[in-house]
Amino acid sequence: MIELQNISKSFNDKAILNNINIQYERGKTNLIIGASGSGKSVLTKCTVGLIEPDNGSVLYDGKDFTAMSVDQRKEVRKEIGMLFQGGALFDSLSVEENIKFPLRMHASMTEKEMQDRVNFCLKRVDMEGINDRFPAEISGGMQKRVGIARAIALNPKYLFCDEPNSGLDPGTAILIDNLIQEITEEFNITTIVVTHDMNSVMEIGEHIVFIYKGSKHWEGNKRTILSSNNEELSNLVFASDLMKKIRKSVTTIS
Amino acid sequence: MGFLHSIGEYFILMGRTFQKPSKASLYRKQIVYEIDSLGIGSFGIITIISAFMGAVITIQTASNIDSALIPEYTVGFTARQSMILEFSTTIIALILAGKVGSNIASEIGTMRVSEQIDALEIMGINSASYLIVPKIIAAVFINPFLVIWSMFIGIFGGYAVAYFSDAVSTEAYLYGIQYDFKEFSIYYALIKTVFFAFIITSIPSYYGYYVKGGALEVGAASTKGVVTSSIVILIVNYVLTQILLI
Repeated sequence: MIELQNISKSFNDKAILNNINIQYERGKTNLIIGASGSGKSVLTKCTVGLIEPDNGSVLYDGKDFTAMSVDQRKEVRKEIGMLFQGGALFDSLSVEENIKFPLRMHASMTEKEMQDRVNFCLKRVDMEGINDRFPAEISGGMQKRVGIARAIALNPKYLFCDEPNSGLDPGTAILIDNLIQEITEEFNITTIVVTHDMNSVMEIGEHIVFIYKGSKHWEGNKRTILSSNNEELSNLVFASDLMKKIRKSVTTIS
Repeated sequence: MGFLHSIGEYFILMGRTFQKPSKASLYRKQIVYEIDSLGIGSFGIITIISAFMGAVITIQTASNIDSALIPEYTVGFTARQSMILEFSTTIIALILAGKVGSNIASEIGTMRVSEQIDALEIMGINSASYLIVPKIIAAVFINPFLVIWSMFIGIFGGYAVAYFSDAVSTEAYLYGIQYDFKEFSIYYALIKTVFFAFIITSIPSYYGYYVKGGALEVGAASTKGVVTSSIVILIVNYVLTQILLI
């Protein structure tokens, strides 16, 4: 479990995050949603330590990450996997070397064991046989899957996904969503997904946190979001006529 | 204030860069890669530029000596001194600042904007050390070889002028390049090269590492890296010359 306690962050005296408290539960897909510029990416970066919060604490299974030394943080980071918006695969390395990279850095494995782990991870994301290809030679969707394979290479306890569906066609986006949810359940990890893709909200939103103007504005799940009266949330999630119709029909049936 | 902020930020980055490496074996592989990328890949351009500069210095010196009191071997002597003391060190360093510096700034800058540096940090890796140390070590190791090669090719370029034209006789040129030779000139050149190699790699790395934005900002960082490292090379050249030769 990851717990955020009173997280605040400002840039040049402009408050980006205001006193945010969230608990991300283990074995669940936790979604952070919000409009562009609402502060959700900054919140995620504060959670993983890429940005230091001005106030508050981040607890990984009860251990205060914000109070840790650099070396102590390294130990926690070995248990974190992260899928970045653009994949963030290393351009100069092949797919296989990208997945081996965290293993070489942190695992005491033989070359054979690493090879087996790479093949397992690639098989898990349905990307077998592309070991020798370079990031520039594969599509955006494939890069995302390889990014997930790299993120799970070290058997992480925590998985962060920053806008995993951006730039993908709807079919591939659903595949990525399902893959994230399957991996979360299979490995019983704490998964945090930053998104503003409403299909993802409805598909995998077991725990949803809505960030509005740097504050936690609403918390619930994909079922309670349909009946929520929160105006700002409704404006974001049910912005299109289609989503409004879906909401109406679902609430009418229930 | 921006200037002082940049200097402070640069030294903080260098402090992070020279912390204990995460895994030394991975650095060795990177250093070999950088020696090939930054050093071996520059041999061609250095050969061409040095040969022509040596030739031009020889022609210029020969054509400007009017007095019969100045011996003919002065041409060879001047070509040797120019190549060893300034051209093969400072001018080659400026050329490498353009070629290698822009390459480094754009490579690290692209890694920054495409979140590859964040990915390294998330994996618990000191990204500054992993990305910058191999480049600095590679340049400090390979650049002295490039400079010695440049000296040799430049002096040979002057000899080619003597051989193929009647600007100066080959005997006088060969005598001139050996006349009053001081070993310290070579040490002086190599000391400067080590400083320049550090500047050529560390300053563009700094500009690339802290880039914010997209492709446009990466291009701007690359330009800043080249311009700043060129200016710093000239300043350090003056200071080292003052310290070592006077």
